[in-house]
Amino acid sequence: MIALAVPHLFRTPSWAVAWLGFLMLVAAVAPVLPLPYPPHTLDLAHIAQAPLAPGQHWLGTDAQGRDVLSLLVFGTRTAVLLTLPAALLAAVIGALLGSAAGFWGNRARVDISYGVVAVGSVWWALRLPTPWLGGLAAALGLAGIATSGRRRRNVAFRLPLDALVTGAVTALDTVPRLVLVVALAAGAGSISPAGLLVLLTLTSWTTPARLVRAQMLRIRTLPFVEAAQAAGVPAWRVWLKHSIPHAINPLKTLFPLSLARLLGLESTLSFLGIGLPPEAASWGRLMVSYRQEPSAWWLFLFPTIMLIITILSLNSLTRPPK
Amino acid sequence: MALLLQGCTTKRPTERALKIRWAHDPENLDPLALANQTAIDALYLLNCSLLQADFTTNRFAPALAEALPSVRFLGDSLMQLQYTIRPEATWDTGRPVLATDVAFTLKLMFCPGLPTEAPSSQYRFIREILLDPRNPRRFTFVCTSQAVEYVQASGDFFVLPEAVLDPRGAMRRFTLAELQRRPATAAPNAVLQAVARRYTAATPGQTPARLPGCGPYQLVKWEKDRYLRFRRKPHWWADRVRPRPFTLQARPARLDYVIVPDAATASLALQRGDIDVFPQMPTREFTRLRQASTTRSNLNFYATASYDVVTVGFNTRHPALSDALTRQALAHCIDAAGILKGTELGQGQRTVGLVSPTDRLNYNDSLAPVPFDPAGAAALLRRAGWQRGAAAADGWQRNGAHGPQQLRLVMRYRADEQLFATIALQFQAAAASIGVPVSLQPTESGAFSMALRSGEFDMYVRALRGNPFMFNFTSFLHSQAIGAGNTLGYGSPRSDQLIEAIAAASTVQRRAQLLRQFQALMQQEMPLLPLFFLSNHIAAQKRLVDLHPTSLKPGFAAMAIGEAAAPSTSP
Repeated sequence: MIALAVPHLFRTPSWAVAWLGFLMLVAAVAPVLPLPYPPHTLDLAHIAQAPLAPGQHWLGTDAQGRDVLSLLVFGTRTAVLLTLPAALLAAVIGALLGSAAGFWGNRARVDISYGVVAVGSVWWALRLPTPWLGGLAAALGLAGIATSGRRRRNVAFRLPLDALVTGAVTALDTVPRLVLVVALAAGAGSISPAGLLVLLTLTSWTTPARLVRAQMLRIRTLPFVEAAQAAGVPAWRVWLKHSIPHAINPLKTLFPLSLARLLGLESTLSFLGIGLPPEAASWGRLMVSYRQEPSAWWLFLFPTIMLIITILSLNSLTRPPK
Repeated sequence: MALLLQGCTTKRPTERALKIRWAHDPENLDPLALANQTAIDALYLLNCSLLQADFTTNRFAPALAEALPSVRFLGDSLMQLQYTIRPEATWDTGRPVLATDVAFTLKLMFCPGLPTEAPSSQYRFIREILLDPRNPRRFTFVCTSQAVEYVQASGDFFVLPEAVLDPRGAMRRFTLAELQRRPATAAPNAVLQAVARRYTAATPGQTPARLPGCGPYQLVKWEKDRYLRFRRKPHWWADRVRPRPFTLQARPARLDYVIVPDAATASLALQRGDIDVFPQMPTREFTRLRQASTTRSNLNFYATASYDVVTVGFNTRHPALSDALTRQALAHCIDAAGILKGTELGQGQRTVGLVSPTDRLNYNDSLAPVPFDPAGAAALLRRAGWQRGAAAADGWQRNGAHGPQQLRLVMRYRADEQLFATIALQFQAAAASIGVPVSLQPTESGAFSMALRSGEFDMYVRALRGNPFMFNFTSFLHSQAIGAGNTLGYGSPRSDQLIEAIAAASTVQRRAQLLRQFQALMQQEMPLLPLFFLSNHIAAQKRLVDLHPTSLKPGFAAMAIGEAAAPSTSP
């Protein structure tokens, strides 16, 4: 996915690339930066101190005495480590599901063993009643797949893949993303950063899936695909090797936008106090601390600047080259 | 001109609601369960007790009772307290409040099948109630000892109507002593079961109107987690009492308690005039508003000391926290002095125990507060048998009676409390510096109470609300209260003995001596770490008068608040 985006980067404004590169660098080296104060240390003698006041807090402190500079640096790390993998995973899942739905439509025939593996795995993963039954079913399904080569005739069923994917996409898109994420996070109670990553991914794959499916519907009728099929190339190979590389073209534009949206969503969730644990540094959480100290303008200004520049940079990556 | 003159008159609105901010919903208005402080505040509007705190004198004063009880000592171990209920006192139906109602209420506290864990332990000292055959409003409590606290404690419960819950007076066949002695394993009794059934069916916790008290207000609307609306009864019995004592004041025609968990939102609402009184305002916000010229002209600010003590509690049922040395070690990771100075701007008092330092007689000033000393904490952990793993990520381990133990902690606190969040973050950072991983769980108010009751925590941060009159720790530190109010799971023969002795101490001096011993024992056993007593900060609209800010909870007299007359334009 990065490979898709990278050539495009070189035709975009240099300031945006420089800024995003700077953020990536900061996120990578944050733990080894010689910051005067670690982000989790509370300087109780200097609570809500203004920037450049005595005490070596260059950008001031928050309502709990934490160093704003450190929070910004580690907030960058949180933003990068959370939104970049979430956007990548969402793009991969969306591309795979959307392209499969577009390529096979509702005509896909699947060996029953694959269905048993899928249902058993989901049963086990969701810890439904007697989860070991799910595990057992998945194991039996795997055994069936392993022996399928020796059988003369496999039992298969027709999978309405397109209906399933478009149905899931429509269902998820009918609920506003923020409401959905807030509801899921509230239902889960406390949520770890990894859990939040999963949550963001699961609610973000729909747009890539929709775009790639639409593209695939066009591509599967192109002569080169028909030629490959006529030449006896297996369907999965035509899908993976020949069709997907063309179908994911819209993601080059979508990926930076998706990153920007996720960044905004993460900041909003942190602002609402949902998601990340209290000790995790986040731009959104820093912004919300301004409410506790309304005179501490620096708590709002600095993270807002970071957020605005980053989102503008990401948006500029989507503009067509001059 | 006529319109202009009409607009300038000093007519006062009669139905204007007084809006007071609450940080969380009372959840349950059961007069026996007394779920939390907001519930108690609400119940004082709906019910009356024999004695109530008088905020003008900061002492207990008669409310439903005509006067303070007359005291008579019997020998050297028993005490009789005689009360007479005011002749004006009636229920909403017009029936008089009688001694039989008081007797019924006390018996109800020992009725099986009801939420009576707290009151049954608190009022067990009343062994019997003797009704005066010549005066149905007069009765005498026979108390099990001559404790100084009993005079006030004996009148501090809400009197409930016998006619609603036991119309045939079936409970009268039981004496109080019989019910108190009744073992938990006794065969069910039809009368007691019927009373418990009626009480439960009334669901007073959720629909207090079904069990109307003799207080000045009735609950007209309760939107969960949004607001509670109380309306003053038009013909409350105390309106006939002359002269009207402070404890029977009920001036606002409507009281709206608005639930605003977030302090910053509540502060904005106060500045906009959407709420009238903001009690327990965070210190920094209070100071900021008091110094701002824009708010100084619209708001009044009151600050008093309080008996609210911020504590960190340890779940002593957790194997890793079952020994005092480990708890002492962790207590050394909390910088109480720094937090008091930083977040409370030094307004508050550090303490060594649950007794306020302002109470010079009872406060154990020979003890030193637990210092902030992470290195000392690590040394104490080693003494407690913990060993630090070779790698930093290994943390601390030891072999316990039930296998190897790992020192990993979960700390809970109310999500909307900035002060508690700061304490938790400071503790987490200090504990991390010595290799103890702490996971923080800010929890919504209702879920927090449930988590504490069900023991789903290792440590918590919360404020305990006390008073200068009574030192009865039974409900939250006695081993009998484990599973009920004693969420820490703590209890030892020595502490139980001291708690009982304090409650039964017959002289102030003896009680002070025992309280000092108790504070020393608590510091040694460390089931909870009292950090500091908070200051009570109240901001209110300037038009409001007679708030009577006080150190007693809830910090001001809501029922006494009035509105200043608008300046007259007439010459």
